[in-house]
Formats: sequence, C-alpha cells, structure tokens
Amino acid sequence: MQSPGQWKVVALAALVVVVLGLPLVVTNSFAIDIFIRILLFSFIGVAWNLMGGYAKQLSLGHAAYFGLGAYTSTILQVDFGISPWIGMVAGGGVAMLASLPIGWLCFRLRGPYFTIATIATAQALMLIFLKFRDLAWGAEGTTIPNLGNAPLMMQFEAKAAYYYVALGLLVLGLVITYRIENSWMGYYLVAIGEDEDAAEAIGVNAPRIKRNIYLISAFLTALAGTFYTQYIYFIDPATAFNFNISIEAALVAIVGGIGTLWGPVIGTLLLETTSALLQSWLGSSIGGVQLTVYSLILIAVILWRPTGLIGVITDGWRHYFPRNPLRA
Amino acid sequence: MLETVVQAVINGLLIGGIYALVSIGVTLIFGVVKIVNFAQGEFVMIGMYISFFLATQFGIDPIASLFVTMPALFVIGVLVQHFLIRRVLGPNDMPQIFLTFALSLLLLNLALMLFTANYRTVHTSYSDAAIHVSGLYIPVAKLIAFVVAMVLSGLLWVFLHTTDLGKAMRAAAQNRDVATLMGINPNRVFCVAVGIALALAGAAGSLLMPFYSAYPFVGQVFVLMAFVAVVLGTLGNVVGALIASLMMGIAESLGIQYVGADSGQIVVFAMLLLTLAFKPNGLGGGRVR
Repeated sequence: MQSPGQWKVVALAALVVVVLGLPLVVTNSFAIDIFIRILLFSFIGVAWNLMGGYAKQLSLGHAAYFGLGAYTSTILQVDFGISPWIGMVAGGGVAMLASLPIGWLCFRLRGPYFTIATIATAQALMLIFLKFRDLAWGAEGTTIPNLGNAPLMMQFEAKAAYYYVALGLLVLGLVITYRIENSWMGYYLVAIGEDEDAAEAIGVNAPRIKRNIYLISAFLTALAGTFYTQYIYFIDPATAFNFNISIEAALVAIVGGIGTLWGPVIGTLLLETTSALLQSWLGSSIGGVQLTVYSLILIAVILWRPTGLIGVITDGWRHYFPRNPLRA
Repeated sequence: MLETVVQAVINGLLIGGIYALVSIGVTLIFGVVKIVNFAQGEFVMIGMYISFFLATQFGIDPIASLFVTMPALFVIGVLVQHFLIRRVLGPNDMPQIFLTFALSLLLLNLALMLFTANYRTVHTSYSDAAIHVSGLYIPVAKLIAFVVAMVLSGLLWVFLHTTDLGKAMRAAAQNRDVATLMGINPNRVFCVAVGIALALAGAAGSLLMPFYSAYPFVGQVFVLMAFVAVVLGTLGNVVGALIASLMMGIAESLGIQYVGADSGQIVVFAMLLLTLAFKPNGLGGGRVR
C-alpha cells in the first residue's frame, strides 16, 4: 500500500508527461488551438488570481494590461523591428507602470465599486487606443508581418511551438504563485482578503501590499497579451482590450477555486472544454451561446460551491486517500 | 451662442431623467441590500423588449405599457432577491459581485440568442414631434419620459418617507441588525427594495422605447452612467443619485455639443475618474437618505 505522498508524486509525474507529450500525439490543429487557449487563459486566470483570489481585489479590468502588453510589443516590433521576446518584457514593464495610477484611483474604493472602477479604467484605455490614431493604428488595428518560421521574433510554423510558449508562461505563473503563497506576502494577501481593516490593525501595510501584487498581476497579464497577438497575427483595440478577457480571467479563477494555486487551471479546463464542445455541436452561428453557458456555470458555482470546483476534487482525494491518523 | 448652450442643457436634462430612474434603482439596492446590481441595465433592456413586443404585437403605446413593465419587473425583482441574492448575502464580497454580474451576462446573452443583435424601434405618433419655444427645440417623447421619470422619483421619495414599509426600508439601510431587532423582516424589506428598483428600470425601458432602439447591449449604456451617478451622488443616497444623474446627462450633452458626437462615453469615464480622484465619497456627505 502506497502513501498519499507517493501517489501525489506519481500523479504529478504523469501530468508532466501528458502535458509535454500532448502536442506530439495530437496533431489536429483545431485541438492544439483549444489546448493553447486553455494554457493561455489558465495563465491569465493565474495572474488575476494573485490579486483577485488571494487579496480579494476583484478586478474586472485586467484587459487593460493584456492590451498594453499586446500594443507595446507590437509597436516595438512593427515600428522599430524589436523582437517580441524583448517587447513582451517591455510590455510587462509598461503594464506595471500603468498599474500604479490605475491602482491609485481604484484602490480608493472597496468591494463592488473597486470592480466598477477597474472596468471603467480598462474601457477608458481602449477608448484612448480607438480615438488617438497617431498612437497605434486607431480602430482598424494592424496585422503583424508574417516572417515565416522566425523563433527569435516569436513566430513559428508549427503550432506546437506556440503550445510550449504558452505552457512556459503558465509554469512561470504557477511558480510565482507558489512562491508568493508560501511567503510572508502570501499571508499578508490572504489577511487583506479576509478583512482589510483587521489586517491593517495588526500592522499589515495594506496599500503597499495591494500595490505590489497589482504590479505582479499586471506584468503577467501583459505577457499574455503579447503572446496572444503573436499567435493571431493581428491587433486592434477591440481584441486587445476586449472586456471578455477581463471576464474570463475572473471567471476561470472563481469557477476553479478562488485563491488557490490550481483553481484557475481547473476552471479554464472546464470552461474552455465546454466552449469547444458547444462550438463543435452548434457551430458559431448563434451569438451569445458561449457566454450564456459560462454565466449559468458561474451562477451554479456561486450558489452551490463558492469555494470553486477544486473543493470537489480535494474532497474526492481525501475520500480515497484519508490522512494517515498515525502520521498526523 | 447662449441658445446652443441652453439647448444642450435641455437635451441633457431630458435624458438625465432616464439615467435617474436607473441610478435610483442601483442606489436603492445598494443602500438597502448592500449589494451592487450589475444587472440593472439588463432590466432596462427587458423593459424595452416587453414594450417593443406589446407595441408591435398588440399595438399598445410604449408609455402605456409602463403599467405592464413596472409590475412585471417588480415581480422579477422579488424573485431575484428571494431566490438568488438572499443566498449570497454575507460578509464575503465575491459571491455578491459575481452573482449579479453573472446575471447581467446571462440576460444579455440570452437576449442575443433569442432576439439577435438587431436594433428594434417603435414609431409612435409623437416620436418625431417637438415643441418649439423661443428658438429652443424640445422633443415630446423625451419630455414625456422626463416628466414621468420625475413623477416616479417623487413617488418613491414620498413612499420612503411616509409609509411604514418605506421607513422600514430606510431603517434597514441604516442598520440592518437594529432594524431586525425592531421587528423588521429584512428579507421582506429587501424583496420590496429590489422589486421597486427593477420596476424603475422597467419604467426606464418603456419610457425610452418611443425614441431609442432596443438591442441586447442597450443596458450597458445606461448602467455605466448609473454607476458613475451613484458614486457621484454618494453611495446609497436616492436624492444624490437623482441630482447626479441630471448632472451627468447635462455633462454628456455638453460634451457631445462641444467635443464631438461620439464623446459621450469619454465624458462619462472622465467624470468617473475625476470623481474617484477628488471626491471618492461623492459630492454630498456619506449619509443614506
């Protein structure tokens, strides 16, 4: 009889093998596209979760950073010929800078009004990119010049390559989350999420902690923006600052399990798989089907499982592998 | 010169009446139940579609369909409070924010599936009529909407200040625990508050129908305006929300007149950001009235 600890190692090793080998076995490009979406939105969910999940600062404006990341790397590439790999980091930097004034404004409000303020700031950024044509192509957007297979310019002929880049981003996000979760910062974040006033009363510098986690969350979200633009070879304000990105970032984390390491990944697996199945059954002819189903899932989770689906999985794990009473 | 300013102010004031109906609903729910209803705009949309179908199927005038939309949305409001919102009330923000947000997403996308993204309009005999007073132009449909909106707001004020139920509602808004100790049934009060708020949204929908198109995303236009007005007018304050909505309408109209036809949204965001930067607690104090 093996112990749960050993099983955990076996399960993790199996997961690594499956995730690394998946694009080698499955070569259908529709399927790989879905895998990439799952990895990408898991990553965005992980970035959102740092601030929204642990510190309970429920932003619906993360499209702002996604868009800034996308535009920074694209402007650098198209106007200055700088590689998107550098542009990606630069975009993260721009997003961090932008998060300071945005945070300064939005953190003045708490709870739902913080959420509204984040929506408004993201929409305002989109309007800036729409109206000021000199800044970046206005409403028409632009296509990314196709250079064929140019790994140094983050362009690949094989879709599998994008898969591994997205996987790399997700691993980065998970490692950062894991490190923060197990540091003082993690405890401060949870304390702020539980009760901000009480946390401040025992000496947590809440404004500083919130600002710092917002910087990290914005940086990571911007990386996703660069990747996505490179992947679809196109950018315009409506795609880069799409409100649905803000929605999905929050949704995957909440459905999977808010404030948990793996929650956003589990949430994305469920939502994106559902969405892919719906698309193959119904086609994309009827507008609104996907978000109708997403919102029904969200309502169900909020009413019956507010801690997210990860709770269902850990309960199942406990059921089959009860804690060894002799070791406890 | 002066005439164009006055004209812009009048235009803003008239549409501000509609904004007021939406923001009073938002602020009433926030004041009494302590949640933000992200779906308020979608209830305006439902009101519009009800009026649209009553007008096209049965030839009922959109203004007259107030007598259908308001009771219908009141009932929906009671059901929403009793079966959904009641279950997430507690110290935790996340379920409250995302329940009404999910409801908004659901209603919007259901409308998209059922009615498609097409614009629906109702043409009434007074849709194009206007009153001309010393060079000023006052569209009749908007004037009716404004007057009815103000009457409904006034009735709400009278209800909140003179009836037992209204007083109970204000008591529950000030201190839920003490109100409960005084024998007020909070869920009943909450049901009525959400019901009234949604009835106002439905009224806004009916009043809009003679001069505005119904489409699935229409609620978003009004709810954003309402959120800004509610912050500006101090959260939970009904009179504040009314005054702020009229101001927002005027500001938007002046923006359209002097900055550009598509600058309405920019004005709204600018007002929100300025409010957050300088008056995060609203223009008044912090009291619920």
